[in-house]
Amino acid sequence: MTSPGAPVGIPPAVTEETAAFWAAAAEGRLLVERCTGCGAESFPPYGMCRACRGRAVEAVEIRDRGRVYSFTVNHQRWLPGLEVPYALVLVEFPDHPGVRVFGRLRGCPPDAAAIGMAVEVGFEPGPGGYAVPSFVAVPNVPATGDPAVAPARGAA
Amino acid sequence: MGSEWFERRAVISGIGQSAIGRQIDRSGFQLTLDAILAAVGDAGLTLDDIDGLAMFPGGGKANLPGYANGNLYEIQDALRITTTWRQGQVEGMSLPFYGPAQAVATGQARHVVIWRTVKEGSAARNAGGRPAYGSVNPSAEGPLAWLLPVGALSPVCQVAPWAARYLHDYGVTREQLAWIPVTQRAHAALNPDAVYRTPLTVEDYLASRMISTPMCLYDCDVPADGSTAIVVSAAEAAADLRAPVAIEAMAGVIDGRPSWDQWEDFSRVGHATAAAMWNRTGLAPADVDVAQLYDGFTIEAVWWLEAMGFCKAGEAGAFVEGGTRIALGGELPLNTWGGQLSGGRLHAAFGHTAEAVRQLRGEAGARQVVGAEVAAVTNVGGYEAGAALLTRWRR
Ligand SMILES: [Zn+2]
Repeated sequence: MTSPGAPVGIPPAVTEETAAFWAAAAEGRLLVERCTGCGAESFPPYGMCRACRGRAVEAVEIRDRGRVYSFTVNHQRWLPGLEVPYALVLVEFPDHPGVRVFGRLRGCPPDAAAIGMAVEVGFEPGPGGYAVPSFVAVPNVPATGDPAVAPARGAA
Repeated sequence: MGSEWFERRAVISGIGQSAIGRQIDRSGFQLTLDAILAAVGDAGLTLDDIDGLAMFPGGGKANLPGYANGNLYEIQDALRITTTWRQGQVEGMSLPFYGPAQAVATGQARHVVIWRTVKEGSAARNAGGRPAYGSVNPSAEGPLAWLLPVGALSPVCQVAPWAARYLHDYGVTREQLAWIPVTQRAHAALNPDAVYRTPLTVEDYLASRMISTPMCLYDCDVPADGSTAIVVSAAEAAADLRAPVAIEAMAGVIDGRPSWDQWEDFSRVGHATAAAMWNRTGLAPADVDVAQLYDGFTIEAVWWLEAMGFCKAGEAGAFVEGGTRIALGGELPLNTWGGQLSGGRLHAAFGHTAEAVRQLRGEAGARQVVGAEVAAVTNVGGYEAGAALLTRWRR
């Protein structure tokens, strides 16, 4: 999906909380926050553990394969010069509950995107010189059809 | 206890709308004045009675061209009134009348006008197409930083994966979903102010172009130009009002992660809100005569049907299939003005509220639901949900 020339889009506003994420993204690494107290991982980074509310967190890299929780194939040219279609995926990680990341999908035609498919962590050049999450389809791994993490059901 | 809920001390007293269309060649400011003057007159009041002003969105905050119109202070200056209460909304309870009801119920004001004015139809025309959400800003801030840079450039792309997951989990089909825009288009044919009034068929829906799978053109509301103003008054002022409508119950709960991509299961965004609302009334879903459920996208109306308890989770596809239940004359006429899908994206449930008031007053013309006494109104902006029951005035 990498387009020739400067990618069309809207860059992120980087904050003190998210600077480490975007710096690592430029190196092709996916960072999340891990609580040094309880070990839970949180995303996006807030400097506060979403499990125990502890304030002591450290950045850790996720290298595991993820699974596509869901996806969409965008056909609409929202900005002049935007190349379409492209697939967007919500990715979860079986061994990292609490982490779900939105990104592009490459390594397969957009229409091959499927719930449950396996993907590797990746990035691609995005708008404003930032690298953005761009997951890579893993060939020959059948989609499970199940979410990596069972959807949490709210109160009925 | 229920009689002491603060919303029982407030009424919706007036509604007013400017001309509404794909493009209306008047400024947003003039459309706003048109709607406010109409709403105040509709309430049976004069401008000198108005002592509160509110608008959505406040602070000129805009994510889309044409999204925000009518600076609150300039409007007050133009109206030449004195206010004791003002509010700009984006965060906060998402129903348009929620904040104004708090104000009049607590004596901070007696008659509040809130308005929402959109010029998104003209903005889309001027841009040569529907612009990206956030394109008015140089960079993506807050939760949008995780969405816009990767190419989820519109709420369509942001909600679409949740629609896909919902269809996958429950076996709901696009052929079933089609009945919402198709039925609402039939309602719009009876609404002279609706943007699109020509018949729409399931075949038209299935043949239309994809915007972001599984959501097609007819799953997305119509960018429009127009202004809606709502007057909210203290219930104790009812004798001064032409045709007040009661607020039976309302609520807005965020019980998940407030983000398009992090909410645990987006199909359930409205469930806690609806549950909290039902806890404030002795009425039940079967008592609702007409439903104005937010339909920025078809799927949002689907999820509201389930959240409000009109059917069970996963059953809205079967509920709407064939259209008979949700059509005029059915058990739950849905979005009788055409909704945002055909009536126009008046946004934030302003169009929905105006229609609920018309129906409860018996002023909905050719699309009147006979004997309507209880109306449901819901709104959702991604994860910011609101639900209310409005009833015919009896006190
Ligand atoms: Zn912790």
